[in-house]
Amino acid sequence: MSDIMEVLVVEDEMLLAMDIEAMIEDSGHHVLAGAASLQDVEALPDSLNPQLAFVDIHLAQNSNGLDVCSYIRSHWPDALIIFVTANVAKIPADFSGAHGVIAKPFSHAGVVNAIKYLAAGVFDPPPSIPRPPSLLASPHLKARWE
Amino acid sequence: MKQRDDWHLTDALEYDHGRGDPFAAAVRATRMPMVITDPAQPDNPIVFCNVAFQRLTGYAREEIVGRNCRFLQGPDTDPAKITAIRHAIKAGHAIDVDLLNYRKDGTTFWNALYLSPVRDADGIVRFFFASQFDVTDRVEAQTIINDQKLLVEREVERRTADLRAALEAKTILLHEVDHRVKNNLTMIGSLLRLQVRTIDDPSVAAKLESMLERVDALAVVHRQLYQSSDIARFDIGGFAESLVSDVVGSSGRSDIVLDIKPQPLFIDAENASALGLILNEILTNAVKHAFADGRSGTLSLKVEREDDQGIIRICDDGPGMPSAQRSKSIGTALITRLARQARAEATWNDNRPGTCVTIAFPRSEAPS
Repeated sequence: MSDIMEVLVVEDEMLLAMDIEAMIEDSGHHVLAGAASLQDVEALPDSLNPQLAFVDIHLAQNSNGLDVCSYIRSHWPDALIIFVTANVAKIPADFSGAHGVIAKPFSHAGVVNAIKYLAAGVFDPPPSIPRPPSLLASPHLKARWE
Repeated sequence: MKQRDDWHLTDALEYDHGRGDPFAAAVRATRMPMVITDPAQPDNPIVFCNVAFQRLTGYAREEIVGRNCRFLQGPDTDPAKITAIRHAIKAGHAIDVDLLNYRKDGTTFWNALYLSPVRDADGIVRFFFASQFDVTDRVEAQTIINDQKLLVEREVERRTADLRAALEAKTILLHEVDHRVKNNLTMIGSLLRLQVRTIDDPSVAAKLESMLERVDALAVVHRQLYQSSDIARFDIGGFAESLVSDVVGSSGRSDIVLDIKPQPLFIDAENASALGLILNEILTNAVKHAFADGRSGTLSLKVEREDDQGIIRICDDGPGMPSAQRSKSIGTALITRLARQARAEATWNDNRPGTCVTIAFPRSEAPS
């Protein structure tokens, strides 16, 4: 696939952030920026245009992924938001408007397949490949691609 | 009038029944304390009491006759019961009530009072007949039982609260440990992946990749375990299905066709890691060896149940592998040893072309 996604990674555990960023780059996409907290995300220029954001729920500076999710939705409404968290139970039923979740501990295969599936949906919706089991989709994802 | 004149007591009733009446004699002589009151006189006074009643209350006949029954009441008599008696008298009903009464010497007794109106031929209430019975022992026994019941209930409540608090603490601890395991597994995977990226030697990188796949397989086992509501059982069927699509999907090999016939198949949670690792070895081996050098083909996964056994069969249509080569790899050793641990049996068969690996293992006996 020649299409390249611009991806935002919001994760306070630097090892995991590096790993996720590497998987994104290895999949042929571009990491726009890394952020460890809501404050970091708020400091990003509005001129960015991410198509995808991976967001952890528990973040640095006592901030959380649900607030980051609302911020992204109001500033970059086109971005797909995927939570990456070990706290799947903390995600509200409506996903706060996010499009899916990848549960930690994730596997390399699980994340790479999710990136592949999401890219297919971003550039040629709906995606022609089946959704990998590692990615749980929220109703918003289906609504987006219909 | 003295006690010896008891025979004459009912004479004073000046009613149809009196002296010589065997029924009146019975009332006089019975051990059951009894009184008769006359509602036609002011304040419904007692007009007859038998000896048993005098014994029960400690009053002499002279102190009883002419008074309203309320002289037996005291500070601890239940006013609601007195009201109930008053209503019954007013309405001309019978009433049956346990009442705390007071003797002449101030001691109390529980009085099982039965009061009923006595009507004449025209239905007019001429008398009230009351029988008493000292049920102090019964009431006290009941009170002791009630007190003990209350004590036991309080104790049960206290211990239940203790247990609930202990369970809550245990649940919090379990979640915390679970969370740490998840975080550590994620970080181990990330560390390995970051390291793999820096290695130029393809054979070293391949070995690290295999290690990484094993850690990832454990991570998936753990994730599936904690996301399930049932911590005693593990759905190895569902795990195999997601592992196959994960491994083949991330290999970027769209030329490998998947033929998956999955179904839920439960094993005891304690065998989840071992069987998960076994499946990972078989699958990654198949992808690496059967479909090496870009050879396309079909990888099939079949999940079956046979009596109390679960069977997972993974087949490829590759060139097959000589057994000598199989026995040298750490993967084969892992499969053999882990199979023994999980009481599973792995067998390799020629699939002509390709290889079939069949793993048979005990299913969970835990109820669903």
